Amino acid sequence: MHARLDELLSLRDGAPVDASVRAHVDGCADCAAALTGTEALRARLRALPPVPEPADDGWAAVQARLAASRAHRRRAARIAPFAAAASVVALGLFAALRWIESPGPSAAAPAPAPLIAVEADSLEVLRARSQALEEVLAALPERPAVERAATSVPIETLEAQVQWLDHQLSVADAGGRAPDAEQLWRDRVEVMNSLVQLRYVEAQRVSF
Amino acid sequence: MSVFLDSDLLPDAVTRARAGAVDAQEAIYRAFQRPVRTLARRLVPHAAQAEDLAQDVFVEVLQSLGQFEGRGSFAGWVRAITVRRCLMHLRSPWHRGLRWAESLAPTDEDAAPLPVAETNGGLALDLERALARLGDTARAVVWLHDVEGYTHAEIGALLGGTASLSKSQLARAHAQLRELLEPDGVRTSCMPVSTNC
Repeated sequence: MHARLDELLSLRDGAPVDASVRAHVDGCADCAAALTGTEALRARLRALPPVPEPADDGWAAVQARLAASRAHRRRAARIAPFAAAASVVALGLFAALRWIESPGPSAAAPAPAPLIAVEADSLEVLRARSQALEEVLAALPERPAVERAATSVPIETLEAQVQWLDHQLSVADAGGRAPDAEQLWRDRVEVMNSLVQLRYVEAQRVSF
Repeated sequence: MSVFLDSDLLPDAVTRARAGAVDAQEAIYRAFQRPVRTLARRLVPHAAQAEDLAQDVFVEVLQSLGQFEGRGSFAGWVRAITVRRCLMHLRSPWHRGLRWAESLAPTDEDAAPLPVAETNGGLALDLERALARLGDTARAVVWLHDVEGYTHAEIGALLGGTASLSKSQLARAHAQLRELLEPDGVRTSCMPVSTNC
């Protein structure tokens, strides 16, 4: 039976291999050639050239990120008390929104609320959520001078979506189309939620 | 062999950089930017992501100089940070989602092969492309083992597995590379099949 590839690699690397495998490879031209092939492939991998010098000076970008990180740490230390206070306010706001959303004692009554009232309530809630997310977004640190491809593209896409939704909302409001507006506000809350999460991730990465 | 071994750095550069000397920090960057970028590019074939990761590595290295205890070589410490960063990236849901979206194969533009040395000619070009087409784990294992000189036990630990995982991935990488490099000339006789000589 021919030697398996993992056995040939072990032979190549001088790792322990069953004596019968070694004996077989010594006497089998195919296996000996395959063993030589693994050595040749390793040699070719090692001979691959390093990447060329970058077109732009990467040191400037690293320096900018180090400076941004230092500035962020200083700013964080300065605004820590305010951030704590803002967190308390945000939590309060979140709790208030949950309370507004939750069915109160009267909701246990079997009679459903009129449809128009539900729509009006939902719109108010969605607007309030959207506003709360705007405030969270505003409280995040400014975007870094040096952006990462992994986060900057999706962030810009989400920002464009928010702008598009705002435009659609202005059209819906002008036309008095409440059902359309409700869906648009719902979409806006979802997009804003994603945007806040990504911006938070971006801020974490910069600050390390 | 590993390009990290070729990095030259003045002996006092690390001490001075740790003390905040910007010129020493720049010297560290200049000495290691090519090895770090090359290793990142070998492990992560997406060019923009590899450059991002290399930048991350230098930010971490320069911010963590105080943690370098001098037990091993400084080059080895920088390499370990580079490997850890790249493997973390390859494991991230973001990267896996992207790979899925790209149908597990980077586009020609994203994984544009590195320029080859004149002496290597087309051979290196083919190898670059073949390497980029391997699965993330197989590519990382074959590079770390065959070029950087990591042991199977070390690679297994880095991947959160055992030496056996590393061994099987190395065999898989070799089989795939051979298939990609010699599509018409792959001999099947020495693959793990139960035929007799």
